Amino acid sequence: MTDTLPGPTPVDVPAPGTATLPKRPLMELLDVSKTFSVRNGGRRATLSAVDGVSLKIWPGRTLGIVGESGCGKSTLARLITGLHPATSGEMVFEDKQILANRRRPREVVEQMQMVFQDPSSALNPRATIGESIAFPLEVRRRPREEIRARVSQVISDVGLPASYARHYPHQLSGGQRQRVNIARALALQPRLVVLDEAVSALDKSIQAQVLNLLTDLQSEYGLTYVFISHDLNVVEYISDDVAVMHLGQVAERGPARRLYDQPLHPYTRLLLSSIPSLDPALSTRDQPLDRANGEIPSPIDPPSGCRFRTRCPFAMDVCAERTPPPVLAEPDHVVACHLYTADENGVVPRGVTESVARRVAEGSEVDAAAVPEEPLPDPTP
Amino acid sequence: MSQATVPVLLPEAFGAGTTDADRQAAAKLREEWNAHDQSVRAQSFWKETGKRFLRNRTGVAAAGIVLLLALAATFAPLLTPYDPLLGQPLDRLQNIGAPGHPLGTDEQGRDMLARVLYGGRLSLVAGFVPTVAAALIGTVIGVTAAMLRGVVQTVLMRFMDVLYAFPAILLAIAVGAALGPGLTNTIIAVTIVYIPPIARVAEAATRRVVVQEFIEAATLSGASRFRIARTQVVPNVLNDIIVYASGLVGVAMIIAASLSFLGLGSPPPAPEWGYMLNSLRGTLSTTPLVTIIPGFFIFLTSVAFNLASDALREAMDSRL
Repeated sequence: MTDTLPGPTPVDVPAPGTATLPKRPLMELLDVSKTFSVRNGGRRATLSAVDGVSLKIWPGRTLGIVGESGCGKSTLARLITGLHPATSGEMVFEDKQILANRRRPREVVEQMQMVFQDPSSALNPRATIGESIAFPLEVRRRPREEIRARVSQVISDVGLPASYARHYPHQLSGGQRQRVNIARALALQPRLVVLDEAVSALDKSIQAQVLNLLTDLQSEYGLTYVFISHDLNVVEYISDDVAVMHLGQVAERGPARRLYDQPLHPYTRLLLSSIPSLDPALSTRDQPLDRANGEIPSPIDPPSGCRFRTRCPFAMDVCAERTPPPVLAEPDHVVACHLYTADENGVVPRGVTESVARRVAEGSEVDAAAVPEEPLPDPTP
Repeated sequence: MSQATVPVLLPEAFGAGTTDADRQAAAKLREEWNAHDQSVRAQSFWKETGKRFLRNRTGVAAAGIVLLLALAATFAPLLTPYDPLLGQPLDRLQNIGAPGHPLGTDEQGRDMLARVLYGGRLSLVAGFVPTVAAALIGTVIGVTAAMLRGVVQTVLMRFMDVLYAFPAILLAIAVGAALGPGLTNTIIAVTIVYIPPIARVAEAATRRVVVQEFIEAATLSGASRFRIARTQVVPNVLNDIIVYASGLVGVAMIIAASLSFLGLGSPPPAPEWGYMLNSLRGTLSTTPLVTIIPGFFIFLTSVAFNLASDALREAMDSRL
């Protein structure tokens, strides 16, 4: 069943030549949740993998989703592509509504593809590269001639020799296999490609090649990416917008540049501070931002209120009582943290906000003051 | 194809590049690479498996014995002038090497060579047919159970467990006794005995395959579950099943022979190896060598099948 939302109102249409950013997201997630029922020590328990996630995916742009292992990134990817049905919430793809637990309309399924994490398990070991890429086209009953042309087209688009169509996955290197995965995702000419840790299993040098290939293909095909990774540097490199996930919830989202330069959420700060730095002055090893020492609360029984409060150095009483609502801190920059929300009386906890804002703004200087004067000896004489 | 002129694809040459010149350069490089790469052969799984199997001497010898027995049984009328059912009472109980009877004769004066050769037909059929039938049925059951999960899986696999709980020979005797003697019924009995273990192997292999990402990719392309099972799952569980089932052929022959020995197999005077062993029991003291001939052939075929199966497993197992 497809419910159609009302079409774009004239107000939404930008005047010609004025707007560079399209007014309508390609896909929108509204309060999407996913729970799994699991057995926990013999008892039935509910695992909340994704909880109330709202996101906008803009056409032609890359949305990076970043977070620790087990924060629900991969589940979110499978919710977006429909491999898992959402438990609750709503998704809108262009003007088509996707309801939780309903079969997706075919037009929506065809527009989305996914690139998987493990290059060795993402290809059928008994099928040649050409057969793997042709499979989605065969499912769609495309004519044989068209399939053949399309297969050699995408193989060459991802920078592989056309003759690789006859090879088997085990004959290819990890980077080549990931190129084949990308080629298969492109075969149906989707609009949205979800990349779930697409480069995480590759060497750094191969990662760079594949990332460049992805950006090339994006401009060539006009693709929209959802790029999921735990690697902050990779996400920063490829993304236009970034959403930071913690334990199934979006802690903060905004344009990549601003989010990396001025992180607002304490969790984002923690993540960014965990990028290893060669400069000892920037090291946060002696004053950790994580109270729980990297101990992530269980998604089976998450903390009440803000799910980050057990680890947060700024945790307040209100954090245990209420879930922080997403607040528009700056244009396009949304943060879900009580440091930035008003209390019942409409008063923002000013003192805290200011001190946080100062610490955020002067982050490096504050940290630098805490380390000893004498720098470590230069490792490269 | 000269080795010196292999064009190297530099990282920058991959992908489309950012400028038109880059793209053209990359395309040209790719074309050269293609021209060179035509010489690289695709290695199919079965071709590689065959190559590795041929390198295993034991396996080749065992497979040769199986082939030889099958050929001998098929062309039995050309190899022996005797009728396996017609005895010469005057020539009864000749020992091995007797003139005209290289393997001697049995208690009714029937030529043992003729009976062994013709009997090979029954025994090989009783070994092969139930294994193949059970492999087909068991694969369907196992793949269905593991792919549909839930109630279907529980019902199917627990039912298989119930059957599997019986000792194989006991179940075969029970089915054989219920259906009555005869080759067809022996085949049915052994098939029923074999379905549960094969279904379990198929189910375990399917569960291992369905969690892999290429199944998710196939789902994303909109393929039906049946299509995914047929094109993505079955080719990947097939080698597990082939390896397992090939080891069962020898045992199937022994079960069939046991049923014949107990009078539940092919009815006399059909030259079935198990039945022959039974009827010659009484002559163990007079012509012991002749008596053990059917047993020897049961043993030989079964061992050859098992060795060939082991070699096949090794040839398939080495990860590509």
